[in-house]
Amino acid sequence: MGIAVIGGGVAGITAALDLADSGYKVHLIEKNAELGGKMEELAECQMGLSPYIAKVENHPNIDLMLSSELERLSGTAGDFKLSVSGNEVGVESVVLAPGYDIPEVAKSYGFGSPDVVVSLDFEGILKAATVSETGELVRPSDGKPVKRLGFIKCVGSRCQENEICSTACCAYTAKEAWEVKERYPDIEIYIFYMDIRVFGKDEELVAELKDKYGVKYIRSRVPEVIPEGGALTVKFENLEKGTIEKLDLDMVVLAVGLLPSKTMSKLAEITGVKADKYGYIETSLTSPLETSVPGILACGTATAPMKVRESVAQASGAALKAAGLSQRTEPIPGQEEHKFIEIGDELKTGVFICGCEGEIANSIDIPAVAERISELKDVAYVNSETNTLQEAMDAIESGIVDQGLTRIVFAGQSPRECEDIVRDACAVAGLNPYLLELVNLREQCAWVQDPKDATEAAADMLKMAVERAKYLEEIPVERYPVIPKALVIGGGISGMNAALGIADAGYEVHLVDKGAELGGGLRESTELQSGEKAADILKELVGKVTANERINVYTNVKEEEIEGRAGSFKAKIVAEGAEDAEIEFGACVIATGARRDFVPEGYFGYGKEKNVTTVSEFVKMLAGKLDANTIALIQDAPGEGVTARYSSIEVVDSALKAKEKNPDANVFVLYQDIKTYGKWEVLYKDAREKGVIFLRYDKEKPPKYEDGIVSVYDVIFNDEIQIKPDLVVLSTPAMPAEANERLSEIFRIPLKNGFFMEKPERPKMVLTPVDTVNEGVFICGSAVYPAMIDECLAMSSAAASRACVLLAKDFLETPAMTSVVDEEICAGCGVCEAICPVEAIELTEELVPVVTFGVTTVVGGTKKVAKVGDGCIGCGSCASYCPSSAMSLKNFRDRQVYAQLDYAV
Amino acid sequence: MSVNKLAYYPGCPSEGTAMEQHMSTEAVFEKLGVELVEVEDWNCCGAAEVEDPKLLYALNARNLAIAEKEDLDIVTPCSICYYNLERSNKALKADEALRTQLKGIDSSLDYNGKIKTKHVLDVFVNDIGLDEISSKLEKKVNVKVAPYYGCYIGRPPETAFDDPDNPVLMDKLIELIGGEIVPFNYMKTVCCGGPLMMTRGDIAFDMARKILDVAKNAGADCISLACPLCGMMLDGKQADIEKALGVTIGLPVIYITQLLGLALGIEPNKLGLNKNAVDTKEILGKVV
Amino acid sequence: MPIKTWELDPNFKNEIMSEAGGEHLASCFQCSTCTLGCPITEIIPSYNPRKIIQMSLLGMREEVLSNPDLWVCLICQTCTARCPQDVRIADVLGVLRRIAEREEEAGNLKIDSPRPLFDKAFQHQLKKFGRLYDMGLAMEYYPKKEGSFIKGMLAMMKDYKDFGKRMFLKGKMGPLGGGSPVKGMLASKIKQKDVMKKIFEELGEGGKEK
Repeated sequence: MGIAVIGGGVAGITAALDLADSGYKVHLIEKNAELGGKMEELAECQMGLSPYIAKVENHPNIDLMLSSELERLSGTAGDFKLSVSGNEVGVESVVLAPGYDIPEVAKSYGFGSPDVVVSLDFEGILKAATVSETGELVRPSDGKPVKRLGFIKCVGSRCQENEICSTACCAYTAKEAWEVKERYPDIEIYIFYMDIRVFGKDEELVAELKDKYGVKYIRSRVPEVIPEGGALTVKFENLEKGTIEKLDLDMVVLAVGLLPSKTMSKLAEITGVKADKYGYIETSLTSPLETSVPGILACGTATAPMKVRESVAQASGAALKAAGLSQRTEPIPGQEEHKFIEIGDELKTGVFICGCEGEIANSIDIPAVAERISELKDVAYVNSETNTLQEAMDAIESGIVDQGLTRIVFAGQSPRECEDIVRDACAVAGLNPYLLELVNLREQCAWVQDPKDATEAAADMLKMAVERAKYLEEIPVERYPVIPKALVIGGGISGMNAALGIADAGYEVHLVDKGAELGGGLRESTELQSGEKAADILKELVGKVTANERINVYTNVKEEEIEGRAGSFKAKIVAEGAEDAEIEFGACVIATGARRDFVPEGYFGYGKEKNVTTVSEFVKMLAGKLDANTIALIQDAPGEGVTARYSSIEVVDSALKAKEKNPDANVFVLYQDIKTYGKWEVLYKDAREKGVIFLRYDKEKPPKYEDGIVSVYDVIFNDEIQIKPDLVVLSTPAMPAEANERLSEIFRIPLKNGFFMEKPERPKMVLTPVDTVNEGVFICGSAVYPAMIDECLAMSSAAASRACVLLAKDFLETPAMTSVVDEEICAGCGVCEAICPVEAIELTEELVPVVTFGVTTVVGGTKKVAKVGDGCIGCGSCASYCPSSAMSLKNFRDRQVYAQLDYAV
Repeated sequence: MSVNKLAYYPGCPSEGTAMEQHMSTEAVFEKLGVELVEVEDWNCCGAAEVEDPKLLYALNARNLAIAEKEDLDIVTPCSICYYNLERSNKALKADEALRTQLKGIDSSLDYNGKIKTKHVLDVFVNDIGLDEISSKLEKKVNVKVAPYYGCYIGRPPETAFDDPDNPVLMDKLIELIGGEIVPFNYMKTVCCGGPLMMTRGDIAFDMARKILDVAKNAGADCISLACPLCGMMLDGKQADIEKALGVTIGLPVIYITQLLGLALGIEPNKLGLNKNAVDTKEILGKVV
Repeated sequence: MPIKTWELDPNFKNEIMSEAGGEHLASCFQCSTCTLGCPITEIIPSYNPRKIIQMSLLGMREEVLSNPDLWVCLICQTCTARCPQDVRIADVLGVLRRIAEREEEAGNLKIDSPRPLFDKAFQHQLKKFGRLYDMGLAMEYYPKKEGSFIKGMLAMMKDYKDFGKRMFLKGKMGPLGGGSPVKGMLASKIKQKDVMKKIFEELGEGGKEK
């Protein structure tokens, strides 16, 4: 059986890979002829996603069904029968990831002018501009360089046709503006917005755009773009002057919203899953991945509009939930142990040039290159017949087996996409995988070289590779067993959910929490925005955790002394009132949550004035009788910490609840930006309709509370407004958990503003939001950024999923391309120790052996020598800094590189 | 062709300032083989001056009820009349209590919500159809036209029958009869200022002038339109605007029914082309 | 001067929302769509329906109802068509105009615009004849607007001398208009004038329902 994943966009790909890597059979069903979904239209995303696509295409556990559509679904969880474009597929669970579509745009945006484009198209224009002859960003209409560029946000969202906020547009607009400014600093950029709904890193990016790049953010929902006299005219409100101004632009980008995929209604009909009133798959705040049909999970923009980061987290989380309903039937790839042939001194180099489905063959004369390479004296075999990666791998395997090749040079697509696959092919055929040299002929030659020079350049690149291949060494492949247990740090909703996810997948879990009881921040809540009682949710979750035999709970934990590496950690758990416990585990999930105990002492008289309170306290007051008649809620009151994703939602929700409780009350919300993203937008609408009054202030002119009067300069009313409140409610920032600093040092995971950072990706995009630079450690929930409950749940399921992918392996390989030291040359200067970013190098005292007349004697002294430990990540810093060339990186030896360079010069 | 008989609501200006629209509408429908039955003893729709919704619904209920007795859908050449008839029709269809209340005022307001209300443009393009019209064309109207739609064709959304920003029904007819559309996109639906003519003539003149200017600068031989109030502003008052603002415009303004009538080979005087305030002779010269 | 919310009328928004057309007032999120698309702002740059709505929500009843800007709205519906929150601004302004007229009627307010006079004259003609009678309307409106019959006639002459001549020459107005010498001068009346009277007596301003 297995799992069907429907939709081959970023969410579908992520879910499929998590499942396939953990040994589940996956049927990935995509209606288009190619994988990638909308991401394929975004230049950076396409590049970032390509390694994942290549992995899917070559994964033994994935049955890729392209140009296929789900036609029928019958059966129940554990036994679904699917009809997919005429083929019958039986699965135990289904993951829906059909993605999104974009809305139609009103004609008033440009009246047909080609210079008004939607953001997806703009990405393409920007990409084309950078590779064009002049490199300039030009107007589509007449090719004139763009000098003034406008972005209009909330086009086709937060409107009658699409009530909710599309969540992603604020951030992607900022990113696009940043890219333009980086490449074309002289282009003036104007961004028209209603509210800027960004958090954390995106918030910093917006600040940088405003302050450093001079991008103008203008608060107006521009309803029309008028093409006249060769320019695009927009009108906006100059709020300070109280006038309407006109601005001429050369090009306008519409930051269009997201809608449920056009296939959604049909998919809902076929599968029977309930859609919500906006057409998205219905999920809930406390079960964000489950649909109304048991056994069918949903993820990504099919459940609500969201960014890539959240989509991918949901996808991993849905994969875990789907796995929980299915049997593992397939081998974990890359776990076979390979015996390598003895190659001795024999140098038989095989060169394989892949046509890359025409992408290389189109601009390079491959037979001509092959002919020239075959003339080289060290080349024993050349194959230029293959056109796909799979064909090339078959050719390499038979080349090693049949021809007895001892070095492989492979020329094809970027190593980012193919390295693991080609090395694996070598190993399967019995050749040490490090006797392989890769040439990126597609990205570094075929795509970028002038066609007339491309063939020549390709031949040169291959000759250099052949030279280097001569000096490649066999690097032993060592493996160590994975301890199939996990440590989860933090017993809040995220930690408990992660622990349950891992335990349900069959692994033992150690769950530690600093408190006396499980529950974390949720213990402070009364009622969720969905109306559910926090206590009920906690009770259920804590009950499940304590009843689960695979979960060992440790409370009152003071600290964890941890050492080891991915797959094999050891820890001593020090808890108050209990004996120290020694545990072992292969993976760790950090779910330390966030703190919301910031005391706004001194702000607005908090602490002195009895009627000044915080939102957390106000929420509790709402559970009782509310006798305040005038309430002023101040969103984003200053303080230490970050603005939580729930901050604005909580303010609006409590204002609404106050109004519901006391309909005659005058409830004012003072805000800078209302950030009720996604479906929370309806909360904002509800609050307005129930009569909550919203007043907008500027950070530079914050509200004041003096003599019982709140004064606020409303920047869009352009006047000072005064309120005589019975109650002043402050929304305060959230702070990172205290343990984060300590855990950051132990696991060497960097923090940002005290919160954990995910593994950085190049290009800059977040495809692995719960992975960290430490391969054995995963992060989730408010430990990453203070988040809503559904986000915490999705992320913690994702972290559990990623941990399970690791725990499913029996063995891990020790990193092969690490540093080695030539102890004889090492002078013990210690530069390497100081430079090593992961502290894997240690200077040790060694006795100095002295050879006298052929007899080794030990003479008195010792010398200091660098030792490379297990932690080495092969970054090469030590090798490049070593003054005596004692340090080198395996596979990047000086002689290998020099051989390559010698040929080139 | 899905229509052969309609109730006809001419609207108040049909008897005076927009009689050429009235004349051309009757002539064109006759030529197209659609019988128009004037709503017997029709009353004013309330125009822009009756703002109270219920009062407006009552005024229109009477007209709708008269047509309903004949079992005919109503067509009108006036955009404001259309807006008022259509929104009343919608409200009355949806609200039984309202129907009962109005019936209580007078039995002549007893409307059961059984008919449709239509604008002539909608009937031409969507009911009669371009193919049918095309088969009856006798002449080519070889003019450059700025198609001006005004307010109530594309908005408000619940009564609109064309795109709010870039309506196209009139464009289609003009192209069909051999005319050329000049670039006029964003002015197509900007208000002519008519509703302020009596109370803030200064504003109204400014607004109408802008439309005339843009059309003229775009190279139009004439403006085409489908609303008598727009006609009054752009055509009837054009000379006053020229005088008040010290400009020369001299741009013919012609109802779409008149242009269509010319293409159907109808005698210009029968279409009231001698009644437009700005002389239309030049346009007539381009009908071949 | 700061706006003191405790001196305002927080019930004003409910008053507006209880009238036909004003129901969606509170949905407004102050995005400026209405103001930026409004053709009036091209001519009167200070005209700002967005602000009128926020003033209404805050309860600035007097300022809103006495604001002459209420009377330059064209009811062209551009704002209503584009409003992302379905506030139906054109209708909301209609509600405000009706409330203002009632307040003026009650002697609480002086409206700084002749438009209510025009609308009333129009409705009066309708009530009398069932159809619009241009000449009758002008004869009723101008004297009221100018404060005396003579001044009104002079103003009418000024506005309509050329236009009337033009229409006369085209046979649209005057003795030769309307197809017959008599029809052109007199009101076009419907037969069931009594129905019009009943409608206005029931639903018109100052009618039974009001």
